[in-house]
Amino acid sequence: MSPRRILLAVIAGLVALFVVPLVTDNEYVLALGVSFAAMSVLAGGLNLIYGYTGLLSFAQVAFFGIGGYTAVLLVVDLGWSLWAGVAAGAAVCVAMGLLVGYSSLRLSRHAFAIVSLSFALLCAIVARDWPELTRGSMGIPGLPTPEMKLPGLRWRIVEPSDYYYLLMGFAVLAHGLIYLVVTSRLGRAMRAIKLNEPLAQSQGVNPLSYRLLALALSALLSGIVGGLFVFYLTIIDPSIFDFYYTETMLISVVIGGPGSFWGVLAASAVMTVLPDLLRFTTDLRMVLYGVALIAAILIFPGGIGGWFYRRRLARWRRPQPKKSAP
Amino acid sequence: MDWSFFAQLLLNGIVMGVIYALVAMGLSLIFGVLEIVNFAHGEFYMLASMLAYFLTVQWGFDYWATIVVVTVVGLAVGYVLFEGLLFSLRGEAFERSILLTMGLSMVLQNGAVFLFTTTPRMEETPLSLQNVQFGDLRIPMARIYALVLGVVAFGALYLILHRTRLGKAMRGGAQSRVAAMMVGIDTRVVSRLAVAIGIGLSGLAGAALAPIYSVHPLMGFSFVFKAFAIIIIGGLGNVAGAAISAVMLGIIESFAGGLLPLAMTDAVAFVAMILVLLLRPQGLFGRGVRV
Repeated sequence: MSPRRILLAVIAGLVALFVVPLVTDNEYVLALGVSFAAMSVLAGGLNLIYGYTGLLSFAQVAFFGIGGYTAVLLVVDLGWSLWAGVAAGAAVCVAMGLLVGYSSLRLSRHAFAIVSLSFALLCAIVARDWPELTRGSMGIPGLPTPEMKLPGLRWRIVEPSDYYYLLMGFAVLAHGLIYLVVTSRLGRAMRAIKLNEPLAQSQGVNPLSYRLLALALSALLSGIVGGLFVFYLTIIDPSIFDFYYTETMLISVVIGGPGSFWGVLAASAVMTVLPDLLRFTTDLRMVLYGVALIAAILIFPGGIGGWFYRRRLARWRRPQPKKSAP
Repeated sequence: MDWSFFAQLLLNGIVMGVIYALVAMGLSLIFGVLEIVNFAHGEFYMLASMLAYFLTVQWGFDYWATIVVVTVVGLAVGYVLFEGLLFSLRGEAFERSILLTMGLSMVLQNGAVFLFTTTPRMEETPLSLQNVQFGDLRIPMARIYALVLGVVAFGALYLILHRTRLGKAMRGGAQSRVAAMMVGIDTRVVSRLAVAIGIGLSGLAGAALAPIYSVHPLMGFSFVFKAFAIIIIGGLGNVAGAAISAVMLGIIESFAGGLLPLAMTDAVAFVAMILVLLLRPQGLFGRGVRV
């Protein structure tokens, strides 16, 4: 598609997303919208770090949960406003992301994968086993209704449609930011690091700083989404660190195509709807997900994005019909 | 703290450490030779425990027969795993290998939940009632057997790696795959053997653990994370380092569990791993094995 047509499609998509709560107040549809907003930002963050810089991060769910817990604890225990709480949660996530990234990337990207994994598990354990801070496995129910006070405007976020606008609005911003990063010089440098690290280094690209940047950015976005999403759920408990989120994110990225912005976005939409379609077989759902992951890795390595990319390459390579000489 | 409590914690720690060591050595061996992190390693350990439980409780196998059968099944599963899945991932495929084995882990773990439910099962056999008395310290026989099995397995692995041609080939493959191929080592055979031994060891660990702790389908999942921390602490790919770190971690965890709040016990492995990464990234026993 030409850039102009992509732009038109994006505008049409945004208008459609904006109109949804106006034409329907079906709570199920709005709930799907909120889940899609949250999951797509998580998957987008993972795509930024794995798809573009080639680091497999399992810590995204930890950022999601830390963002949520920090915001909730600051709001409930210290009486902060939601926005300050979410901002603080995002800051904690960035700090944690840099700690995990810096300590493990000094060794290798293998160590990064393992450390990020242990980090996510540690967060779940701390949330469960440190009741003085987190109230343990009972979680913190009945979160207060957030409010946005601007001069001349007071928006109480109560209705499903309010949350839809809040999370979808943030998701649009987040994806816009990711898109800007991956299509800029930064994104090219990240892709170069993934494709050939020594070559990128020889061109003066420092892999560590770009990888830390991608990690910090994805931690920031995941943390904010975590903070907003728990107030929509009105409860936070250790299940926010559930490995299920990691698996869903990974499948979205792998099937969508690592390093493909639109592919991952589309796959995360599918992964939002799929759990409900597979409701009849809850026990076997994860088995099916596992099979899908294995199949995607073995048979379909580039995902949807990779398939479109190869198709486009093939079209470019096709011999052009000769223009008759004037 | 009185002496017998101290000795009890120490002994429990060593036994747990030896079980950790069996799993972590296999993980480290597979990483060293294939540069693959086997995410599903804990599930094989869990399945081995389940198999040991059913062999002893349902079919009345005795302790040693169970150990042998489960270990042999583990070796065979490792062989099939390599030929069926891992061989197709040649070359630079670290992230893909994790995703692939993670998919496998999801299938195995949730399949086990579907078939066996998450109810913990405790293996009740005559063995679980036998104890050895040392002064006022009472040690269950099953723990002593586990300890002996762990030491024997470690010795056997050491001899295989350092005293046989095949072991030499494995170490060579771990140092440099290309150089190993140039001197005529069949990396496929070597990798296959490493995976078979690795899964066989976690089978042994699962079978040795079944008479000591209860068995359930989610046990492998949390266990394998500790094994990951252990192989980082010991130096990625360093099998002996993994074994020593595992026993140390078992002892430290046992004391932390006896003396500190619950949340600290599980955090020990992670904190130790981060400290090691910050202070000595090549691992405690690194010697710069290939990373």
